[in-house]
Amino acid sequence: MSQQALADKVGVTRQTIFAIEKDKYSPSLEVAFKISNEFGVPLETVFNYK
Amino acid sequence: MDFSYREKSLIASLGVTLLIFGWYLYGAFSNLSLNPEPPGFVEIIILIIWVAVLESIIQGFLASMKKSQVEDERDKFIEKISYRYSYGFLSACIWFLMVQILLDTWFDNHLMLTTPYGMFHFLLLFFVLSEVIRFGTQLYYYRNGV
Repeated sequence: MSQQALADKVGVTRQTIFAIEKDKYSPSLEVAFKISNEFGVPLETVFNYK
Repeated sequence: MDFSYREKSLIASLGVTLLIFGWYLYGAFSNLSLNPEPPGFVEIIILIIWVAVLESIIQGFLASMKKSQVEDERDKFIEKISYRYSYGFLSACIWFLMVQILLDTWFDNHLMLTTPYGMFHFLLLFFVLSEVIRFGTQLYYYRNGV
């Protein structure tokens, strides 16, 4: 899935998806859940707390 | 360097603010050091209106371009942080000017800063600097992450 496709589904900009991937932005719980739902995996599989 | 659309529009806003108000304030402070008296009330008002209108037109144009882009939670968060820094700076400057007025009153010193003409331009300078801080902070956080 492309960054733009995920961004459109989650309702954020492509830059935000890029920032999340590069660890430059911690998304809100709402966006985090939406992303994990898109991939059909639990939240802790996509995100981890450092 | 690869800049996003939002970063480019922020750089443009920053440039416009610096160029227009920088040009005006440079002229104003050059005159201020030589002659603390205003060159003429009507001339200043006309010039200020001209500068403000020009700046508003360009900023409005840039803002309308930015509005066509989707704004999400990250944009709002960065905007909120930048307003906090900008407000903090402006508050500090206003307090600084208030102390200057008090010192001027107590010690009867006629500082250049506290003449009405000087005060007006320092206030304008502080407003412009707070805008520069707002744009600069946004650029910093878009580049380095939040």
